[in-house]
Amino acid sequence: MNRVDFKNIIHAEELKAKNAPTKHKIFVCCGAGCISSGADNVMKKLQEEIKNRGLEDIEVVPTGCMGPCNQGPLVKFKPGNTVYQKIDCVNIGEVVKSQIVDKKPLEDLLLFSEHREKPFVNAEEDPYFKKQLKIALKDCGDVHPEKIEDYLLHDGYKALDKALFEMSPEDVISEIKQSRLRGRGGAGYPTGLKWETVYRHVNDQKYIICNGDEGDPGAFMDRSVLEGNPHRILEGMTIAGYAVGANKGYAYIRGEYPLAIKRFEAAIKAAKKLGVLGKNILGTNFSFDVEVRIGAGAFVCGEETALIASIEGRRGTPSPRPPYPAESGLWGKPTLINNVETMASIAPIILKGGEWYSEIGTAKSAGTKVFALAGKINYAGLIEVPMGTTLREIVFDIGGGIQGDGQFKAAQTGGPSGGCIPAEHLDVKMDYEELMKLGSIMGSGGLIVMDENSDMVDVARFFMEFCVDESCGKCVPCRVGTKMMHDLLQKVCENKATQLDIERLEELAVYVKECSLCGLGGSAPNPLLSTLRHFRHEYDTRVQPVRKSENLVHQ
Amino acid sequence: MMALVTIYIDGKKIIAGSEKTILEVARENNIEILTMCHLKGLTDVGACRLCMVELEGSPKLFSACTTKVADNMIVTTNSERIRRYQRITTELFFAERNHICAVCVSNGACELQDLGYKVGLDAIRYPHLFPQCEVDTSHPLYVMDQNRCISCSRCIRACAEVEGAYNWDMMNRGYQIRVISDFNTLWGESTTCTSCGKCVQACPTGALWAKSIVQGQQDKHPEFITDLMERRKMNL
Ligand SMILES: Cc1cc2nc3c(=O)[nH]c(=O)nc-3n(C[C@H](O)[C@H](O)[C@H](O)COP(=O)(O)O)c2cc1C
Ligand code: SF4
Ligand code: SF4
Ligand code: FES
Repeated sequence: MNRVDFKNIIHAEELKAKNAPTKHKIFVCCGAGCISSGADNVMKKLQEEIKNRGLEDIEVVPTGCMGPCNQGPLVKFKPGNTVYQKIDCVNIGEVVKSQIVDKKPLEDLLLFSEHREKPFVNAEEDPYFKKQLKIALKDCGDVHPEKIEDYLLHDGYKALDKALFEMSPEDVISEIKQSRLRGRGGAGYPTGLKWETVYRHVNDQKYIICNGDEGDPGAFMDRSVLEGNPHRILEGMTIAGYAVGANKGYAYIRGEYPLAIKRFEAAIKAAKKLGVLGKNILGTNFSFDVEVRIGAGAFVCGEETALIASIEGRRGTPSPRPPYPAESGLWGKPTLINNVETMASIAPIILKGGEWYSEIGTAKSAGTKVFALAGKINYAGLIEVPMGTTLREIVFDIGGGIQGDGQFKAAQTGGPSGGCIPAEHLDVKMDYEELMKLGSIMGSGGLIVMDENSDMVDVARFFMEFCVDESCGKCVPCRVGTKMMHDLLQKVCENKATQLDIERLEELAVYVKECSLCGLGGSAPNPLLSTLRHFRHEYDTRVQPVRKSENLVHQ
Repeated sequence: MMALVTIYIDGKKIIAGSEKTILEVARENNIEILTMCHLKGLTDVGACRLCMVELEGSPKLFSACTTKVADNMIVTTNSERIRRYQRITTELFFAERNHICAVCVSNGACELQDLGYKVGLDAIRYPHLFPQCEVDTSHPLYVMDQNRCISCSRCIRACAEVEGAYNWDMMNRGYQIRVISDFNTLWGESTTCTSCGKCVQACPTGALWAKSIVQGQQDKHPEFITDLMERRKMNL
C-alpha cells in the first residue's frame, strides 16, 4: 500500500461513517474498573435489550477507560455525550428506554447525579471533564480498541503519514524537542534529547522499547491506553523508529495485563495488514516491526536495564549506568526506551506541532499528565490534566473531595518512590520540579488521597514493605537496608521504638538513597523521608525512652 | 590507541588510560578503595556498593569498580560521608546472615572479617536478621554454607566466566536471594559442576570451602582467578 491508497482508505472510512444509517452509538466502558464492577454483563444485556426493542441500527462499542472508575460501570450515548453511571443488568433497560425511545435523559442515573444539584446531560460540561485536558488518553473512551478503522477515524496513523512523507528524521526529533515533552515513566527525562542521543549513535541495528511494565501499586494509566487505544502506542513507536533509525521495537507489557497483551497483539496484526507497520511502510523504504514481550511480575523489571536483561532472557536485575541504553542497550545496541504514556503523546505532537504541546503546562514541565486517583476521594479513577494544575483542583474540583465529608490530610504521589504532600501544600502546582521541592516525585502518576484517619507512619511502613518485597537483592543498601528500615518502622508502629531507632532510620534512609544501584533502592526511602519531614510528630509521639543497655551499644 | 586522561584522586594527579575504571586507576596508584564484589579478572557488577566515591560536580555517588575515568575527573574516596557509608554497608553484611567467626573455616582469612577491621567495626547497630539457612554438604569435595554468603556473586561469575560451567545462579528476590546450584538442586547432584574449585577460591567468606580443611584453616587464593584471566588474555 502506498500513500495514495492510504489516503483513499481513510477517505472511504470517513465517507462510510458520514453516510452510515446509525444514528446512535452506545459506548460501554470496558476499562479495568468497569469490568470489575460488571461491565461485561452490562454489555451482553445491552445487546439483548437493543435486539428485543428492534433498535438494530444502534452500534454498541466496548471502549477503554472513560475515567471516573468508581462510578462504573459507565455507559455513554452519542450524539450528546450523555453518560450514565452505576449501570447494571436491571437499570440498563430503563436507560435505553428513556434515552433512545423516549428521548429523555434519565436524571437519576446520570454521571455524578448524587453530587450535582443538576447533573449534566452532556457529560463534557461537567467540571470533572472540563478541568481536564485529554491528550494521551484522548479517544480512549471513544474508539473500539480492536478496530483499526475506528482509530483511522480519530486521525489514526496520520501523524505517521506526515512524519514519513513530510518530515526527515531530524525534523521529527526537533519537533519532539520543541514540544518539551518529558518521559512519563517517572524520571521526566527530556524525550527529544533521548531520541537525539539514540539517533546520533551510529549503528545498523537499533531498537525501540515501549515500557509497559507499570508496577507501581495502584497505577493503571499505561494499562488504560494499552487496552483502550493500542494503535496510538504502536504509531508512536513506529514514528520513534523512523526518527532514530531503528527497525525493530518491543512492547514490554506486564503479564498481569492479559487484555492489554491481547489487544496490542491484535493491533500489531491489523496495522501490518493495513501496511502501517512491517515491511516498506506506506510504500516507503522504511520498515519497522514490533513484538510483544511479557513481564513476569517483578516491579524492578520496569527499570530500564533490568527490563532489557529480561527481554534478553536473563534474570531481571539492574546494571550500573553508564552505559545508558541509548548507547548500549538491548543486545548491546543503541536502544530507545520510553514509557507508554510518553509514546501515546507522540502522534498528537507530530500532528499538531511541538509548539502547541509546549504551550500547555508549566515553564519546565510541558503538556499534560495522567494521574490515577485513589484512596479516600469521591471520584477515584483516571484523569489527565495540564501540568501545573494544583493538587486542590485535582482533589476537590475533579476528584469531588474527600469521601463522607472527611478532612484532607495528605496526598501520596509517586507510589513507593514518592512522598506525601500535607494539606498546607494543597496549592502546589503539580509538575516535576514543584513536587520534588516538597520531597515527593511525579513518578508515574499514582495519587492516593488520605483523610484524617490515616496513620502516616503506617503509610511509610506499607510502601517500605513493598520495596522489601520487590528489591531484586543485587545491591546491599537496598537488599538489607530496606529490610532494616521496614523492621524499624514496624517497631515505631508498635510503639516500641526509641529516639535511637528514629536516628538510625534517618541515617539508613539517606544511605540507601545515595548508595543503591538503581532507582528502586534510590527512591525507596522517599515515603519515609517525606513523612518524617511533614508528619514528624506522628513519629515523635510514639517514641519510647531509651533503655540504658541499648544506649551503651548504640551511641 | 587508548586515550590518556588526567584525573585527581584524593588530591593526587594521575595520568591514566581512558578505558580504565576509577578503581583500577586508584589501585595502580596505591590508593585504597574498599571492595567486596569486585574480583580482578571477573566482570564488575557494582553490587556491594562499598567502593562508592564522590565525583566533584555531582551530588550522586558512583561505584568506582564500574565507573570509567574521564578527563579532569576529581575523585574523593575518603570523605567522612564515604567512610560512614562503608561502615553501614559492613554492618549490614554482618546483620544479614549468621556470621559466627569463631566456628568458621575462614576465621583469620576472611575478606569480610578484614573489612570489619578496616572500617573499625566495634558494634552492629542494626538488629541481626538471623535467617534460617541451609548448608549443602552433598558435593564430595566442597561445602556451600548459606549462613556465611554475602551474595557478592563472585562464585557465579568465576564459574561462568573463567570455568565456563555455569553451575551457579541466584534465585528469589531481596533479602531472600540465595545462590543456587543448577536449578536449585543439591550441589553434589549438579550436572554442570566440574569440581574445579574456582568458586571456592573466588569466595570472599567462609560460604564456600573445601572439605579437607578444619576450622580456621581455609586459605583462599582469589588471585588465582585474576592470574588465570591475565594468562588467558596473553594467549599463553
Ligand atoms: C524500580 C523502577 C521501576 C520502574 N518502572 C517503570 C515502569 O513500570 N514503567 C516505565 O515506563 N518506567 C519505569 N521506570 C523508569 C524506567 O527505568 C525508564 O526510565 C523509563 O521507562 C523511560 O521512559 P520515559 O523517558 O518515557 O519516562 C522504572 C524505574 C525504576 C527504577
Ligand atoms: S537498588 Fe534494589 S532493585 Fe535496584 S539493584 Fe539494588 S537491590 Fe536491586
Ligand atoms: S558463595 Fe561466596 S562467592 Fe558466592 S555469592 Fe556467596 S559470598 Fe559471594
Ligand atoms: S566493589 Fe564496586 S560495588 Fe562492589
